[in-house]
Amino acid sequence: MIGNVYQTVCPGCNMGCGLYIREDEEGALAVDFMKSSPANLGKLCRFGMKLAHHYSKATSMVDGKEASVEDAVKAASDKLKGADVTMLGVGNTTNEESLAFSKVADALGTVVNTGMGVYSELPTECHPTVGVGITLDEIESANRIALFVDPYIQYPLLVRRILAAKKIGASVVSVGWKDLHLADENRYIDPDLYESELGLDSESVIIADVHPNTDPGWVKRMLNLALKTQAKILFMKPFVNATGVDLLCKGTGQKGISEIMDGINEGSIKTLVTLNSDPIELMPDSDAAAATLTKLDNLIVISSRDGPVNKMADIVIATEPLYAKAGSFMNVEGLLLNNSGESTTGIDSMSTLSQNLGGEAMDYQNLHNNVLESIVQKYTKPKYKELTCEVLDIGPVEEKGNLIYLYNPFMWFDQSDDNDFVMVNMNMVNKLGLSKGGMIALTSDAGTVNMRYRVEDMPDGLILTAKKLPVATEWTTIVSTEAV
Amino acid sequence: MVNVGDMLVGYATNEDVRKRGASGGLVTAVLAAALEKGLVENVVVMKHINEFEAVPIITDDVDEVLASTGSLHSVPVNLAKYAMGRKVAMPAKPCDTQAVIEQAKRGMIDLDNTYVVGLNCGGSMHPVTTKKMLVEMYDIDPEDVVGEDIEKGKLIFKTKNGEEKAIAIDELEEAGFGRRESCRYCTLKIPVNADLACGNWGVIGDKAGSATFCQVMNDKGVKLLDNAIEAGRIEVEPASDKAIAIRAKVNDVMVNLGNTLEKEIFPEIPDEERMQYYMEPMADCIDCGACKEVCPVCACGEDSKCTMFHSLVDNYKMSMYHMVRLLHLSDSCIACGQCSDVCPSDIPITLLQSSFAIPSQRKREYTPGMNVDDVPPFFEVILK
Repeated sequence: MIGNVYQTVCPGCNMGCGLYIREDEEGALAVDFMKSSPANLGKLCRFGMKLAHHYSKATSMVDGKEASVEDAVKAASDKLKGADVTMLGVGNTTNEESLAFSKVADALGTVVNTGMGVYSELPTECHPTVGVGITLDEIESANRIALFVDPYIQYPLLVRRILAAKKIGASVVSVGWKDLHLADENRYIDPDLYESELGLDSESVIIADVHPNTDPGWVKRMLNLALKTQAKILFMKPFVNATGVDLLCKGTGQKGISEIMDGINEGSIKTLVTLNSDPIELMPDSDAAAATLTKLDNLIVISSRDGPVNKMADIVIATEPLYAKAGSFMNVEGLLLNNSGESTTGIDSMSTLSQNLGGEAMDYQNLHNNVLESIVQKYTKPKYKELTCEVLDIGPVEEKGNLIYLYNPFMWFDQSDDNDFVMVNMNMVNKLGLSKGGMIALTSDAGTVNMRYRVEDMPDGLILTAKKLPVATEWTTIVSTEAV
Repeated sequence: MVNVGDMLVGYATNEDVRKRGASGGLVTAVLAAALEKGLVENVVVMKHINEFEAVPIITDDVDEVLASTGSLHSVPVNLAKYAMGRKVAMPAKPCDTQAVIEQAKRGMIDLDNTYVVGLNCGGSMHPVTTKKMLVEMYDIDPEDVVGEDIEKGKLIFKTKNGEEKAIAIDELEEAGFGRRESCRYCTLKIPVNADLACGNWGVIGDKAGSATFCQVMNDKGVKLLDNAIEAGRIEVEPASDKAIAIRAKVNDVMVNLGNTLEKEIFPEIPDEERMQYYMEPMADCIDCGACKEVCPVCACGEDSKCTMFHSLVDNYKMSMYHMVRLLHLSDSCIACGQCSDVCPSDIPITLLQSSFAIPSQRKREYTPGMNVDDVPPFFEVILK
């Protein structure tokens, strides 16, 4: 902490964008630009610019009543002793807190699940390549870039990297859901034709992403494309420390978020402990996720934010805001980034919890040293791991709906934005007779919602949304459409 | 007693401040004295993190002012907004000062309560680019840098082992390094719009490197200097004719360079390509709003013309937001470069905005941020 200013990392995705959070005398927060930050040069996306709204402080609770953090930890210890516990930590906090959470898991004889189910379906030798991709600087020196994400909406700080590559001659092909301004070619082709049609070689870069709701078949397809063309690949990830937590949890359960929710619905999971991971925010259908969580005997939430899951939890152990924590994060390229915060209340709570459960005591410095030893040497980047696995069996191709989520930081955190519309193409406008400034009705098994619309160049029949919608049941959902 | 128009050479009386501060620590000492003697309640200082990073903080602690950093060409922050709503003293580059005056015109800063100690500026650099430049052009490890300076058209870096290495700015900029683009065509190098105009240009002889040339621009400048002298924090003496002439000559060289580079940097835009010139780069905008947030002359707040007509549901290739901003800032843009610095899509917003604003400002013989009494040509309403 420098005066009243914290140097921290944006929690919107795993890019590792450095910034300052300025806290005034009344506790009001403002974002300031950290121009020396290597990942982003101080630049921030729309989510980063609205971060002051993101840090809603959590309150410790026991059975719906406000409690001291000490009482919340004691109550959690009582509930967890002897219980069969599932733990979820997707990487929305520091390496050190994540490691402390793992040690609580050790005390309970269980593991921390990162929610990224895709990892358990990949051969171990693919894991490092999916975990740590090429450096962000390497994007700028590619001769061809194949985009399987929409950087403008999903990972905005990629835009400048791709434009920089174009300036020195790279060509860009987008294989996404809609035309992108920065792409030289926008292709909507059969995935079986990617290898022959996209013109990739060993000087090329593929940019895709993995997240808790990723179709594993899709990730395998991306890996196969990299294997067959020798292109390098970078998987973007949605959580600030997704890379760090993946490395810290290597070899453990890696149960996916859907698998956990299925387990709760089936009754095989009765106690869930989450660390800065809100299933209601993470699942495509928030209402269904909330209904699932009511089936738990025990829901214990350790969190720095006041998310929707806090309101349903039996116990909330509140920790300090992310920007105020002592600790480090690892970004998508494997760069270790440090917070300037010095607070360790989250770690201290987990240390007490661990001891109450018969586990070890923890302190920040030891955890930090462990982090350095276990995942990186200080300030060195793990190198990009060339793929060594065999071509993967993609398995059955999932049938996709016509309403598709364009996942972005606002969606992962259910944070409001000026994105209350869907994207459709002109053919759909004409076919449905949509009026300028009018609405489109979307109907699924989950009901009907009327939305404003924006016209984009994109394939016929698709509807894209950058906001979670109540009619969506998965990341793609079949909906019928009509003009309102 | 000093007088408006005086040209002086001075330094901090405290040996430690004199040694650590840039050019004799006069600016640091003047700011500290302003706080110490109650001329102001706060001082804006740059809290040093390393040679490439400093954070503006607002302090009421004299020791914190005295411990604040010297010149940092690779920390390109505009400080104007930190002065709002306070009785404050601040160091200021010419563009910081321009922004303070533009904010004062819009009622956001009370100049009676704002003391501006101007600093000569040959240009600032982006920290990450600077680190890369150190490795590629200077063969210096950025971690070894302990100081830097711009002198006689050269950028000089000092290292831990006491060595100095200088390379001509022209050479650096030809290699794609050096100053930020907006600094290259800037022609306001001495902050004659501030209360005091300070710098090392014109400091010669045995005082070179250990004193500051200071021009008193107005009554507030008189107050600042008299206050610091009375507090025993500085000593000043009249600048020699030779010192004054050298300072003017350095300024002339820098201004001429700016004029030359302006011709190189700004493209000729054929009439039939004017819309495309603006639309094409702005189509990469991700609507983050950072350019507005960081703009030091924007006084609109959240509810403003540029945002109220803009919605993400629109899919114009150049948003209403940018169109309104181009118009709205045409008489107030000071080309400080902050918007380009923070643009996540690397849109050269300052260049685009300047392409629009500079011809308009010149046509009306108006330069923003020079005098609070100069009314912007497009001010809609003037309240008396």
